[in-house]
Amino acid sequence: MVKQNKGCIRYVPTGIVGFDEVIGGGLPAERITVVLGGAGSGKTIFGAQLLAAGARDHAEAGLFVAFEESAKAIFENAATFTWNIDSLRSKIEVLDARLSESVVHGGDFDLLGLLAVIGAKAKATGAKRIVLDGLDVLLGHLGDSALARREVFRLRDWLHVSGMTAVITAKAGADEAQAASDYDFLQFMADCVVTMQHRVVAGTALRLIRVAKCRGGAHSANEFPFSITDAGIEVGAGSNTELRHVVSARRVSSGMERLDGMLSGGYYRGSSTLITGAPGTAKTTLAAAFADAASRRKERTLFVSFDEAPEQIVRNVESIGIHLAPHIRAGTLKIYSLRSRVASPEAHVASIRALLREHRADNLIVDPISALAPRSGNADAEGAAVHIVDLAKTQGITSVITSLLGNAAPLTKETPIGISTIADTWMHLAYVVNGGERNRALTIVKSRGTGHSNQVRELVLTSAGITFADVYSVDGEVLMGTLRWQTENEQGRLRKSAKRDAEFRQREAELAVAETKVRAQAVVVEQAVREATLERLKLDRESDVSQTATQNLELLHRRGDDDLRVAPLQKAKRSRR
Amino acid sequence: MKRAAPPKKRQLRLRLYVAGEAPNSVAAIRHLRVLLADYPSHVAELEIIDVLQHPEPGAREGVLVTPTMIKLAPLPERRIIGNLKDTEALISMLGLTESERG
Repeated sequence: MVKQNKGCIRYVPTGIVGFDEVIGGGLPAERITVVLGGAGSGKTIFGAQLLAAGARDHAEAGLFVAFEESAKAIFENAATFTWNIDSLRSKIEVLDARLSESVVHGGDFDLLGLLAVIGAKAKATGAKRIVLDGLDVLLGHLGDSALARREVFRLRDWLHVSGMTAVITAKAGADEAQAASDYDFLQFMADCVVTMQHRVVAGTALRLIRVAKCRGGAHSANEFPFSITDAGIEVGAGSNTELRHVVSARRVSSGMERLDGMLSGGYYRGSSTLITGAPGTAKTTLAAAFADAASRRKERTLFVSFDEAPEQIVRNVESIGIHLAPHIRAGTLKIYSLRSRVASPEAHVASIRALLREHRADNLIVDPISALAPRSGNADAEGAAVHIVDLAKTQGITSVITSLLGNAAPLTKETPIGISTIADTWMHLAYVVNGGERNRALTIVKSRGTGHSNQVRELVLTSAGITFADVYSVDGEVLMGTLRWQTENEQGRLRKSAKRDAEFRQREAELAVAETKVRAQAVVVEQAVREATLERLKLDRESDVSQTATQNLELLHRRGDDDLRVAPLQKAKRSRR
Repeated sequence: MKRAAPPKKRQLRLRLYVAGEAPNSVAAIRHLRVLLADYPSHVAELEIIDVLQHPEPGAREGVLVTPTMIKLAPLPERRIIGNLKDTEALISMLGLTESERG
């Protein structure tokens, strides 16, 4: 079904709420639209929604060519939206077009095979809409940009002849300028270019969509905020930026009285809390305590656990006095285990969205979100993590997300997959090893809109539950456990010892003064002795000199020397008198 | 000058997907034939499928780009894409060794 719109160009409605108005009626029919965006920006959803709407509203068959994800994953993700995808499966064909990583590259290749395969499928199903999702993945295999360009133009020519309305999605840099330079030829060959962005602005996740170019259309070139809801992409009205302001000033208990105190009353309702820490630092326990408190308030909580079975979690926290089993039986708490490796990060987001809706959850716990990214620096996982937090926030769901993080200082750049910036509260748990003990220490790294203690607290787990111990600091170091007790005693002992030391040192100093005085007197005596000696030496010398002179005169007289030679002696005699 | 056939020839079973007379496809057939001629120790059973005329088998086997060659025997099954000008990659993928070269 195609809408007639001024002259020769016809438009195909996308079925994306608000988007058709932005683009001026829909995508140009039988033309190519390129959708560019970063990881997790919603490109795949855009494509899937286009086909679902075509099948549902216009009975048009669609073909989805998946270069990045398996056909199974595409269907599973689509099933998490309220599109009723299962009833549309006869109309939508998904072609798994992933090149195996193990394939050997043995020279130049082209897309003729792919086009032949797509052509055969399209002919068989009568597809009017086609989505090529993640073309960048395929182009990456071509390696050479000249080759990529040649194949992209081959694809364009083929699509134009095919008579299908096409959407090509490609992952591009996070910002639009980067995207433009990455795939300039992709944009050049397209009749319409749509960019999708997902960025964090002033601590809030913001999704933006923009029609950068559209031939012949009266589109708006502005950026429009959009959100991803149960219905899929929704542009403009009801966007997350507006919903974001409906943040409650109400507090909910964290499940730990002392922690509530540290946070001036608990978590804000509808806020997100990130708990990071090394393995075994009680992240899950803190999350479970929150779940327990929520159920006691008769709220509904979805607890998503990665790679740990529900029974295991229930049993583990049972040992420290947190009883989740009754809440599960009562239906207020649902623990759902997901296997991190079996699906892509975005697929997990889709599952969580569906689960939240199904369970009508007031609270969401994800434990641990780091399971999405076994290696750090995974942009897909980061996008997904932000997406999950965003999902909860836009629906007013209070979320507690845990993340595995080394014992390193939490303020280093290695923040757990990006969500620390959009989390409202961030607590870090660390092991502090001292005196042969490992104790758990909790720090509140940040808490928006809350006066919070900046001191470290010791977390004590007992069979009666979780308690926090005050910290005891010595020389700027926080002390815990036995060491604290020991140090308290030690301090007393040290103080006494110091007193004795001081007394001893004073006596020592007094003696030193006395000794110095004695030495000073001795020196005075010595000086007197030396002065006397000197006096005597002077007298001795004078008598000695006069004697010598007399002797010399005597000698001269006896030799009968002349006057001239005597003269100096006479002078000497005179001067002495 | 032909040598006497070795006592036991080893079998290679190959399936090559091409796209009509496209340059890469034509080159792939040529490169493969030249290489196989260098290995009298092996006997290859080569099946060539033109996806432009028969797209179905390619679709079933997940062939996306042309040329794509699948080594069906000996196992394990392996795939190579491209015009096969990279002889080293081709030899390694077929499980041949330089010493067997005749």
